[in-house]
Amino acid sequence: MTATTSRPAGAPGAPGTPGETAPRADCTADSAGGLSFDITLPGVAERWDAALLLRLRDSDPEESVRLPLEPLSGDPDGSVLRAALPSTVPLAEGRWDAYLVIGEDEARRLLPGCSDLRPLVDRVPRTDRTWLGVRIPYATKYGNLSVCSWLRWPHAEAGDIWPADGGLTVHGRLYGAELTPTARLEARPRRAAAPDGGRERPVTAPVTPVDAPAEGHGFTARLAYGDLAREPGAEGDWQLWLRPGEDAEPVRVARILDDIVDKHRILRYPARPVAADGADGGGGLTARPYYTGANDLVVRLEGTGPAGS
Amino acid sequence: MHISFLLHHGYGMGGTIRTTFNLACALAQQHDVEIVSVFRHRDRPVFDLDPAVRLRHLVDMRKHSPDYDGGDPEHARPSRLFPRTDGNHRKYSALTDRRITEHLAGVEADVVIGTRPGLNTMLAMHTRPGPVRMGQEHLTLSTHSRALRATLRGAYPRLDALTTVTEADARDYRRMMRLPGVHVQAVPNGVPAPAVEPSDGTGKWVIAAGRLAPAKRYDVLLKAFAKVVEQRPDWRLRLYGAGREEGKLRAMVEELGLYNHAFLMGPAHPIEAEWVKGSVAAVTSSLESFGMTIVEAMRCGLPVVATTCPHGPGEIIADGVDGRLVPTGDVDAIAGSLLELINDDELRRRMGRAAIADAARYDPARIGEMYSSLCTELAARGGRSGIGRLRSSLHRTRGALLGGAYATKDALARARRGALRRGRTA
Repeated sequence: MTATTSRPAGAPGAPGTPGETAPRADCTADSAGGLSFDITLPGVAERWDAALLLRLRDSDPEESVRLPLEPLSGDPDGSVLRAALPSTVPLAEGRWDAYLVIGEDEARRLLPGCSDLRPLVDRVPRTDRTWLGVRIPYATKYGNLSVCSWLRWPHAEAGDIWPADGGLTVHGRLYGAELTPTARLEARPRRAAAPDGGRERPVTAPVTPVDAPAEGHGFTARLAYGDLAREPGAEGDWQLWLRPGEDAEPVRVARILDDIVDKHRILRYPARPVAADGADGGGGLTARPYYTGANDLVVRLEGTGPAGS
Repeated sequence: MHISFLLHHGYGMGGTIRTTFNLACALAQQHDVEIVSVFRHRDRPVFDLDPAVRLRHLVDMRKHSPDYDGGDPEHARPSRLFPRTDGNHRKYSALTDRRITEHLAGVEADVVIGTRPGLNTMLAMHTRPGPVRMGQEHLTLSTHSRALRATLRGAYPRLDALTTVTEADARDYRRMMRLPGVHVQAVPNGVPAPAVEPSDGTGKWVIAAGRLAPAKRYDVLLKAFAKVVEQRPDWRLRLYGAGREEGKLRAMVEELGLYNHAFLMGPAHPIEAEWVKGSVAAVTSSLESFGMTIVEAMRCGLPVVATTCPHGPGEIIADGVDGRLVPTGDVDAIAGSLLELINDDELRRRMGRAAIADAARYDPARIGEMYSSLCTELAARGGRSGIGRLRSSLHRTRGALLGGAYATKDALARARRGALRRGRTA
């Protein structure tokens, strides 16, 4: 700490000091899912015990990854240190807080610098892997640097979704699994996931393969809101899964192949009335698709007012 | 030379703060530069400042600070010296009056620079004889209220120089205000080169950024983009910023069925990291006193489709060369120009490259150089001495007799004060 930062802050006329600023890391993403972190730290480059530490939030015992910080070759001042998180290193799903550790000093929380995340926007994953890793660096609400991670395979990526005419049309791509003629979209009540292990019969919708000359398999599925409304206790959240074939394991439908960590703030879709198409339910309900904190796709059914109104 | 800026507050995220910091850092390469922030709300400024630039405050508004001034009874009394006609009047007080006048009466600088009408006025009226008094206009004369214009008409003749951010606004000041002996010059805002590689023009994204305020006319942009999507559903729009129009714009995205194509992204800093994800930028304002976002986007290699609103865009963009200018509020024209750039990859990339080359003229080093020569010139021809100023005022105002009389009277008064002061110190 420098002398100026320990001085009590400004009487009028006293020179203000920006103070000791927390270190910043400039993040650069590659299209395979790797990340590099550049930190400018004059005078630290000669040290070999500097590292970038990623700590998984809410993990017990704490899970962490230590990435060595090494002088960047070609940097004339020798003050830029780089840590790399290669795409081949798996990182558990969740939010990882980034720290700078130098020797025995206490770990210091890092701030985000200027990031280059272009390769993450509209990302097309490689299909020659056995897993898909997505890591998006972002600024937390306190302005610190964290990395959001997903680890999935197979993966069903949601694209355009269109709520209209009493249902939801989902366009997407399936990676890491074959789409068969018996493929279907499944909606499962969120509450069922824990108690009975999801044994409850899901509401299903047919899946149409879309000609997919490129990576992955394009698909379109249309879920009728009325089918959800007819189930007992329809109100609440319905998670969407894609079952690629009758005997295949279902794949969670999510949107993770871009640079946006908190989709629910940005990708918002309208609530539509559930068509009261006869017998039971539908009336007085609205359905709205949204992304959860983990960017999984969910349809929420809500009452719009007193029943029968 | 010692240059001292007077800023409303230097610890926030506004455009004036950013451009003042950029300029101060550039000037600090050659000069001794300080920024005096009237208020301080935070411990640290949001934007980076060169360590060579000193930042200090006059009134401490940090509740946790031992020097907290917000509870001072003097701060509860309204300001008499900060003009009522400046929109920020109610933030100023008897306490700010005292601190600002004390600062200006003892300021050590060769040049003092104000950064908004109210502060320019205080600086014009209360700076000790000697330093060059320079006012900066970051907005425009035409958008000021009649009452504010009247205030400025009384105060600005006491400035040595007034800078505007566009030539158009400088013309307005010369034409609509009598400012004899005041050097009026347009100096645009400086925008640094991005820290990331410029856009390669391949991303199918149109980017816009700014406060979500009515004058930005993002409603027009959304309508235009709905037309773009009809032809090119593979292109999308990202709109960065926060503001009171957010709810209205979200409703509009829904109404236009653009929820798969137009996204309200929220505020982003640094914004250059977001510009480079796109290939075309859009500015559809009804008013842009300068147009910082246009220059930022250009420095990132994006051709900008902008409305020819007063005053900035037309002075920044060369239509058809490094961007497109379209009539303000014209949805079809905006959609047409966006589609022209979207449908022609070669045109888009060529204009993007031209944008990088043409926007280099806004580099803070060059803008700093303009200010540097202006300051040097003004200081040399007598900003520091009342006598020198009188001579130069007369010399420059032969054509404006009425205004000249005012200037003469004013300058004589100042010359007397200056002479007195010299008498004392001699």
